[in-house]
Amino acid sequence: MEGIADFFRWLADARGLNFSIFYDALDRSRFLEGLWTTVKLSVICTLLSLAIGIVGAWLQGARFAPARQLVQGYVQFFRNTPPLVQLFFFYFAVGNQLPHVLDEHGMLVPPISNVGWAILSLSLFAGAFNVEIFRAGIEAVPRAMVEAAESLGYSRLGVFWHVLLPLSFRISLPALNNNLVNLVKTTTLAYAIAVPELLYAAAQIWSEVLNVREMMNVLLVTYVALVAVLVLMMGRWERALRIPGYNP
Amino acid sequence: MFGWVMRAALACMVLAGIVTAPARAEDTLDKIKQRGSIVVGVKNDYKPWGFVDPSGKIVGMEIDLAQDIAGKLGVKLELIPVTGANRMEFLNQGRIDLILATMGDTPERRKVVGMIEPNYYAGATNVLAPKSAGLKQWSDLKGRKVCAVQGAYYNRRVSQLYGPEMVVFPAVPEAMNALQGGNCVGFLFDDTLIVSTLSAGDSKWADYEMPLVSEDPQAWAMGVTLADLNGPFGEFLKKLSIDWHKSGKLVELEKKWGIKPSPFLQEMHDKYKGS
Amino acid sequence: MTTLPVLLVPRPLPQRRAGELPKGLFGGGLLAAVLAAFMISILAADARAAIGNAASSDVLPILLKWSPLVLHGFLFNLLVSVLSMAIGTALGLWLGLGRVSHFPWLRRAASTVIQFFRNAPWLVLLFYCMFLLPFSITLPFATVPLPDTAKAVIGLSLPVMANVAEIVRGGVQSIPMEQWESGEALAFSRSQILWMVILPQCLRRMIPPWMNLYAILTMSTPLISVVGIQDSMTLARAALVAEGRTDLFIPMYLMLLSWFFLYCYPIARWTTALERRFQVRI
Repeated sequence: MEGIADFFRWLADARGLNFSIFYDALDRSRFLEGLWTTVKLSVICTLLSLAIGIVGAWLQGARFAPARQLVQGYVQFFRNTPPLVQLFFFYFAVGNQLPHVLDEHGMLVPPISNVGWAILSLSLFAGAFNVEIFRAGIEAVPRAMVEAAESLGYSRLGVFWHVLLPLSFRISLPALNNNLVNLVKTTTLAYAIAVPELLYAAAQIWSEVLNVREMMNVLLVTYVALVAVLVLMMGRWERALRIPGYNP
Repeated sequence: MFGWVMRAALACMVLAGIVTAPARAEDTLDKIKQRGSIVVGVKNDYKPWGFVDPSGKIVGMEIDLAQDIAGKLGVKLELIPVTGANRMEFLNQGRIDLILATMGDTPERRKVVGMIEPNYYAGATNVLAPKSAGLKQWSDLKGRKVCAVQGAYYNRRVSQLYGPEMVVFPAVPEAMNALQGGNCVGFLFDDTLIVSTLSAGDSKWADYEMPLVSEDPQAWAMGVTLADLNGPFGEFLKKLSIDWHKSGKLVELEKKWGIKPSPFLQEMHDKYKGS
Repeated sequence: MTTLPVLLVPRPLPQRRAGELPKGLFGGGLLAAVLAAFMISILAADARAAIGNAASSDVLPILLKWSPLVLHGFLFNLLVSVLSMAIGTALGLWLGLGRVSHFPWLRRAASTVIQFFRNAPWLVLLFYCMFLLPFSITLPFATVPLPDTAKAVIGLSLPVMANVAEIVRGGVQSIPMEQWESGEALAFSRSQILWMVILPQCLRRMIPPWMNLYAILTMSTPLISVVGIQDSMTLARAALVAEGRTDLFIPMYLMLLSWFFLYCYPIARWTTALERRFQVRI
């Protein structure tokens, strides 16, 4: 470990290539915290957006027409507007107008922090795509399955939860993985509302240490590596679930 | 058959181009005179030093100073909006000839950018906070959320000395919006902006104050490339800067834009009046 | 309800293909909903302002005062999206053809490039281009300046290039082998088959995902505001700071959201219509 730190210190002094995160403890800790926050954001938003997707797909088949229209409105709105503007809208505009609560110092603060809004906004954004993905998957399940389940006495919810979702999961998996990868990339937007994720940490470091070139390269490589790992894992999962010859 | 003829002709033209290329002017002053315009990096979100009016034009005290420079050189003025995080990069890339964007003059920055002395203004660090926060001294910030802007030189110092939880935004408007929404207990920034915001008389800021003692006074400077600092362009700007102080132009512009009269400027005016 | 195990006739659920909009929710209805939300927020802000202090003026006139400027920024966003799309498509076409090339080294190289630019977040690529591309490129006979906007366009066109390459690959690979074989049987060379037989056929089926990509790109153009370029977002924020009123935030951002929506939603509908029309009937 020390050897690596010394090498990079030498690199900074002798060649002017300042990779401070390798030899400076403060910068390294900030960078790693940023990475961890990105991972946490991605995981929480994925789970939330999956839940939103499932609920939305369920509501799209509801008998109650306004529920269907509400879901459609939500999906079309969040798919056709920029996620950055959505994020700003939620954090600055909506967050401002919500009734404030008292924090431990006796100050009136918004009930949801910037991290909370980032999670909410990104989950809603990804959830809108998930609704359509689940919808497509459910469409592809053969009608015969649904009829068979109905004939066995499953209620509509039972059919959805026990028959449709598990079967459609295999079909939707590639699109879901795609969405997950996009979500991880979209977490960089939270930089604009000061969420301490990876891009934010890197920006902090380069604006203080003035080593933009080096940090940009490290950042790019880190993100590409992170996403590559994710893509590999998802690819493995897809292959594991595949049934040869079955192509609905 | 003709292909190789065309390729050979192209090669000859390129060669001719290399050989006969005119020598490029190295000095910025010559470059400006040749171009017929000076490109100045200014702020567009820092009222009243540099901000946007409804027609989209950037106006403010620094823009007036830039206009004066352009007038004295006899060239047109071109303004490029910059932020604290990118102004030095732009200068060193050659995108702008001069930084006139509320830039604090610090020793670290002097390694990267040439600072023109005498400085044209001085500001210090302070916090814009709501009165209900009850902040009395800097140590009250410990563990509290403090909004700040990317690229400010005091962020690191304050966060190391007083241990607040820094919430750093890309630009001033977001930080101000966040403060107004109660997302942080205060906005760490130059005291000049805080004072001008509070004194503008907008009702939205009626419940806000600048409670702490301004720390870490920093002079602001115009920035040129290190190569220009002792060259003709740098010398011209240094003389002009002395002239501004002597003639009281800076004090006059302060009044025009409603900036609180700064003791620094009065001192400098008195110092140069005699010379 | 009876307790006998009787099979109740299931009511048929509204059948709709994925991505298709229900008849009831015509674009007009959704647009009306968005505009209604917008107007309500303005009225609410007005009401709050009136209760707060009588001196402040109504929200709508202030919005109208600033909207030419913000609209100017929005048009700039659209310009950036068109330029990035053009450059990205041109580069992506060649990259995609490299991806399906006969030569394994070319395939591998193209695949690496595509994977790299698809894995990188768009904002990071933008930052990278803004900071690390030079201000001007020195050619032997001239110095070409590279303004901010050009760097942002390049930064955005890189992921577009990678995605277009994937679309091209998907399109070319979706043409059945029979087409290739027939071409070979008629003594076409490989590149002749590609250009004269395969590509014209897959052009049609590449259009819907390409238009989808354009919509995604348009919705990513506000990212250029984070790297300091003046677009609709920066101008909206500058307007909000100049006005200094928190009750303006919701109407201003809703206005911006509605503009993007009004632009991207018709594109999305057109894309689904085209998808349906270009359905391959085997």
